[in-house]
Amino acid sequence: MKIKHSLITRRRFLNGTLGGWAAALAAAFISPMVKFVFPPYREPDEVILPFADFQDMAPGSVRTFPWGNKPGALKLNQDGTYTAFVAVCTHLDCNVSWLPDQRKFYCACHDGWYDENGDNIAGPPPSPLRRLNVVVEAESIFILKPGVEPE
Amino acid sequence: MKAKGWGTWFEERLGISDVFSFLTKKEIPVHKHTVWYYTGSAILMFFVIQVVTGFMLALYYKPTLEEANASVARIMTEVPWGWVIRSVHSWSASFMIALVLIHLLSIWITKSYRSPRELTWMSGVFLLLVSLFFGFTGYLLPWDELSLSATKVGTDIPRAIPGIGLWITKLLRGGEDVTGDTLTRFFGIHISVLPVLAFLLLAVHIFLIQKHGISSPLEAEKRKSALKTMPFWPNFVFREMVVWLILLGVLVTVAVLLAPGLGPSADLMAPAPEGIKPEWYFLFLFQTLKIFPAHMLVASGETLAILLILLFGILFFALPLLDTKPEGRKGKLFTWSAWLFILYAVVMSVWSLL
Repeated sequence: MKIKHSLITRRRFLNGTLGGWAAALAAAFISPMVKFVFPPYREPDEVILPFADFQDMAPGSVRTFPWGNKPGALKLNQDGTYTAFVAVCTHLDCNVSWLPDQRKFYCACHDGWYDENGDNIAGPPPSPLRRLNVVVEAESIFILKPGVEPE
Repeated sequence: MKAKGWGTWFEERLGISDVFSFLTKKEIPVHKHTVWYYTGSAILMFFVIQVVTGFMLALYYKPTLEEANASVARIMTEVPWGWVIRSVHSWSASFMIALVLIHLLSIWITKSYRSPRELTWMSGVFLLLVSLFFGFTGYLLPWDELSLSATKVGTDIPRAIPGIGLWITKLLRGGEDVTGDTLTRFFGIHISVLPVLAFLLLAVHIFLIQKHGISSPLEAEKRKSALKTMPFWPNFVFREMVVWLILLGVLVTVAVLLAPGLGPSADLMAPAPEGIKPEWYFLFLFQTLKIFPAHMLVASGETLAILLILLFGILFFALPLLDTKPEGRKGKLFTWSAWLFILYAVVMSVWSLL
């Protein structure tokens, strides 16, 4: 039925209202369900390591530490400073290993290579290993995401 | 009720005899490509084996970071016949996927997907995806070093898709990284989401095959010659049973002689082990990813490789819509593309093993 001066029939109006209402109801149920499947984990902003565990490192050597759910690599440079990397390949996320003889980082998954500064030098990795900032203070080594100040 | 009997009682309520009379009237064309018709029911047999052995493994398997590897070790060493059940589950998966690939290639080459069977093909492509995803999620569950690295790579791949890629990676992993949450999630997908999808898709696929009847090869249709046929019941079904029996024998033999191993429990902090390899049916994709250099033109090689694979996937799905003149020269091109695909997959797989 269509009332005079009306643009649409009563059936179309009711169908549209009902459909819109059903869509809104579905969205109200689906959005929390979608949210639910993503757990609230974030990569840490900083990790504090006890200096005592790392003071016996020889210059030029690399030792790993846990960076959230991933491994990090801490390197003691020849000049006594530290460099830290996220020890995860930038190609497809495999954990890399440090080869002390060749002084390179190596990813076994797809044969990717990085030099000791973390720069990608061979194989499929598209970019250097992610760098983290290092601050040594008293008894602790602070590993920080770039842009984060130590607490 | 006694007078009529149970058979009649159920018949009056269910009307099952219609199905039986349909099956007894069904005819199977006989020609040089008839052999491919056996692959479908063989896939079903392996699927049933997967459901049964999978349910049995789930009685002991524990999908958590701390217990997964140990619970598989327990299945292998302590549970009576556990090692055989796991081995059959693992091998039957490979057999099933191998047959799915043969089934699909035979349809591609004989062009059985042509009108009006486009949707049968498309439901089949979805079934292929479900099968591959079954394999991918199942591979992680033993939670050893190899399965962890393979999963890290596999779940990182969608990230390269512009727009929704990162979202898919996070959805698969349950967060930014592969963790214990990923394992639990993969188990849930493996034993509930995928089986439901598989059963629904199978229902559609099998219904469509009954609706349209089994397709005959193009040459026979062109010549308009009446093909010889054999009755589905009992002639064809009995022949199928012979095939099932042989395959079952091969499966159990292989499973007993070559039981899968179990590496040490995965460590999220450990470097990726040497020689990581996905399951054999992913090897050609693995090698494709490996040979693309870091940078190509404007994008990273990885992004380009993944977009290319995605494009081929879409073309593959739409094959019956593209191959519109199966008898013409264009049709021949599509047949050749199947052989080209086989050549590519074999060469890349062999290369990845060298």
